[in-house]
Amino acid sequence: MQLIHEPLSRRSEVVLGVAGVLGSALVLELLIRLEIVTGSGLPLPSAVADQARGLLGDVDFWSQILYTLREWMLGLAIASVAGVVLGGLMGASRTVFKLFALTVEILRPLPAIAVGPLLVLLIGDGMLPLAVTVAIACTWPILFNSMYAAKAVDPVAIQTARTLHVSPLGILTRIRLPAALPFMFTGIRVAASIGLIVAVSAELLLGNGVGIGGYILLASTSASNLDAVYAATLVAGVMGVLVSVLFAVADRLLFGWKAGLAP
Amino acid sequence: MTEHTTERTAPASLELEAISKVYGVTRAIDEINAQVPAGEVTVIVGPSGAGKTTLLRIISGLDTPTTGRVLFDGSPIKGVPDGLAMVFQDYSRSLFPWMRVEDNVAFPLRRGVEKAERRRRVLEALQAVGLEGKERLYPWQMSGGMQQRVAIARALACHPRLLVMDEPYASVDAQTRAELEDLLLEIQTRLNVTVLVVTHDIDESVYLADNIIVMSKAPSTVQEVIRVGLARPRDQIATKEEPEFVHARAHVLRLLRGEAEPEAATPDDTLEVGV
Ligand SMILES: Nc1ncnc2c1ncn2[C@@H]1O[C@H](COP(=O)(O)OP(=O)(O)OP(=O)(O)O)[C@@H](O)[C@H]1O
Ligand SMILES: [Mg+2]
Repeated sequence: MQLIHEPLSRRSEVVLGVAGVLGSALVLELLIRLEIVTGSGLPLPSAVADQARGLLGDVDFWSQILYTLREWMLGLAIASVAGVVLGGLMGASRTVFKLFALTVEILRPLPAIAVGPLLVLLIGDGMLPLAVTVAIACTWPILFNSMYAAKAVDPVAIQTARTLHVSPLGILTRIRLPAALPFMFTGIRVAASIGLIVAVSAELLLGNGVGIGGYILLASTSASNLDAVYAATLVAGVMGVLVSVLFAVADRLLFGWKAGLAP
Repeated sequence: MTEHTTERTAPASLELEAISKVYGVTRAIDEINAQVPAGEVTVIVGPSGAGKTTLLRIISGLDTPTTGRVLFDGSPIKGVPDGLAMVFQDYSRSLFPWMRVEDNVAFPLRRGVEKAERRRRVLEALQAVGLEGKERLYPWQMSGGMQQRVAIARALACHPRLLVMDEPYASVDAQTRAELEDLLLEIQTRLNVTVLVVTHDIDESVYLADNIIVMSKAPSTVQEVIRVGLARPRDQIATKEEPEFVHARAHVLRLLRGEAEPEAATPDDTLEVGV
């Protein structure tokens, strides 16, 4: 068998990806229509697509999408600030590292979603507990990436700055931070995708009927409306793809200089 | 921060007084006494591990000696001396990849120099190293030789009185190395700056030097200081044919191999011997 060594061009990547999605949908459609798989409530792709089209014309559903997006952005913003600041300082200073390493290790295994109900009790209803749940899940990849990025800054670059009379604070802000920024951004990029999943899950779980998750929850209470559940889930999935494309483009635009890092 | 006057200030001198450096149980430098005269090129050669990089780190204030002291223009240094600029061997790690060439060169000028003056100094420094028109590139878009020129330009932009270089040309090809050697000598004369270079290349040491400090292997001392009287400007072919060049080169090589006793000074010898 011949392995593919050449990286695919961007266009053929997109074309093949879309073909894969359509192909899978077609297979599923056939499996259900030809009654090879049977059962009630199976997602018939054509029906789900129909529903999704309907949803996108629905003003109320759009406001749920916006709600989820705002919640996600707030959570990601909180996580970015917390992760970059704490992680960056832990990477740059051994003292700060020792101060927080144990706390981080203890808190990290806690599933963010499980903390959600506690947050509702603590800070009440509304978007904030949802956003904080997102923030908790998003903080870890950002924190760890920021920590390793700040630690891995080239010592030659730092010595160079020292011989150029840059103060310790200046070395932090003018050398360590810009050198670490692309890797911190990679952490944010990974967290963004995780955050969207957590946002929808938290809405499903905390269940006050808001956001895409809330919409799915309400729709699923009537068994006749399962196609709407699938459709809303599909929309959430497409949002995830859009988010990761957006971040990939931003990465290329902002941090093209990564190509120049010493091997 | 260095005060950035537009006028050139006088070149600086260095005195190394009984410098030693111990790392844990390793005695890297036993005792170094040496002079780096103002306005001249002094080259340090020595076996690998002799403590040459360590010595430069001490001189540039990045590290402190275990005993002894460094006098910069007669006063003991505390931290990085004002008026010292350092060029590292690893240009690709020493230049900041997120900055364009012009921003790298302007980096040491940020504070206390107004924008127009900064721009003028950047262009002047780039011109001095033959890189006009390259200011919008990123360093990693350039060849190794060009990147090291950028690093030299950055050092020149702060109008140093002492230029310290640790094996600056060890990672470029022979042709580029020869060009950069000539560039250094030309800049040194034109800007009247003191230069202190570490090199592994014996030919390069003689070609560049007014004085060669030959270090012994660790724990190191100064084996000999050789005065090179070859005329300036030097020429990559003609200078290297001169009897003094050939003689000095062989002498340094023998010292490094441990085959030569340090020469005694004789009036008719082309080599004047210090220490
Ligand atoms: N930070 C350090 N900690 C411990 N030992 C060190 C340190 N830096 C240097 N040394 C030791 O000091 C000695 C001198 O090292 P140095 O790098 O100064 O030598 P050098 O003359 O520059 O060698 P080379 O020609 O290979 O560059 C070596 O034995 C080295 O292992
Ligand atoms: Mg060295």
